[in-house]
Amino acid sequence: MKQLFTLLIATIVLTLTACNKETPATQTTVMNNMLTNKTWYLDYSVTGAATKNYVGQSTYFVTYLKDGSVKDSDGLTGIYTVENIYNQSQIHVQVKTLNGNPIEQIYDIISVGDSKLVLSKQVASGTPTQLYFTNK
Amino acid sequence: MQIRKNISTQHFLFLLLAIAVFNSATAQTSKSKVHSDKGWSLFGALTLNKQSVNDAGIHVPVNYLYNTVNNNVFKPGYSGGFRYDGASKQNNYYSLSFAVNRVSAGTFYKNKYTLAPFMEDFTHYKADNQFTTLSVAAHYKMLLPLNDMRKYKFYAVVGPSLDYKISKIAAEHLINGAGNRAFINGDLGAEFDNKGYYVLYAHYKLGKNLTESSANIQMNRFELGMSIKVKDLF
Repeated sequence: MKQLFTLLIATIVLTLTACNKETPATQTTVMNNMLTNKTWYLDYSVTGAATKNYVGQSTYFVTYLKDGSVKDSDGLTGIYTVENIYNQSQIHVQVKTLNGNPIEQIYDIISVGDSKLVLSKQVASGTPTQLYFTNK
Repeated sequence: MQIRKNISTQHFLFLLLAIAVFNSATAQTSKSKVHSDKGWSLFGALTLNKQSVNDAGIHVPVNYLYNTVNNNVFKPGYSGGFRYDGASKQNNYYSLSFAVNRVSAGTFYKNKYTLAPFMEDFTHYKADNQFTTLSVAAHYKMLLPLNDMRKYKFYAVVGPSLDYKISKIAAEHLINGAGNRAFINGDLGAEFDNKGYYVLYAHYKLGKNLTESSANIQMNRFELGMSIKVKDLF
């Protein structure tokens, strides 16, 4: 029984020394992995009761790269970060127009996956627009 | 590299089986050996695994398409280790076992979500379905009055076991406080002891997270294995 007790202690020590735990960065890491190095095509935009359908048409698209840069079909380029502010996951985008004018935009992440992305575009006043993207 | 490790483990299990058969055959002719039900044994087992996930407590805005992650089947794995069989003075039989388990599990997600009109049937969580655990089990063995008990013994087995994941856990599994390394099982099974030469066994294990988790996982496992006395091997 003495041997058994020694083995039991050794097993417990071994198992407790190896640890992976959730950190504050875990959530943003998972979201970044789903978001980056993909081109997202806009399928629908919904503002209040008005829905616009872009499926099968030439549509807006945006690419988030792993190095933190972003570019879209309107020719805007810049940087982005995925953040978690007060339990709300967001994409902070800072881009410049073709003329060099800076634009800053914040999107709330409604849902992000390997092939589906739903964002809510923050606006100063009025109804926010929900944007439904697909990774093709 | 991983494939090589798997192959070598399978070779080890086959070697155990081969040695068991050899020992059984030679033991028929050897009357000088005295075999006891008690003592240390090595064992190897093939397992079938499935996990059910309830992700109702996950509130992270991520989506996994249901059809791509849901796989409601039993998948094969394997385990190996050693165990001690003993008996109390009142002839209560028991076994204590220590094992390394390579689990490959089918995963059933209990909850489906939709986001009309764009997305249908997704989950908020993706559980690890391949991992390695260390386990400790304590089983009470009830001798069944079947056949000639001086030769062959049949046992009904019941008891708890504890699994602890030692493999790396994916960030997706850890999200929103869901990650949980340890799960506790209730074990039920039957064992056949062939004159103390080897034991064939079938166990069913029903397990759940040891501590509170935002994603409750229920493990269902079947084990089919064989144990051989260490003194017969070495």
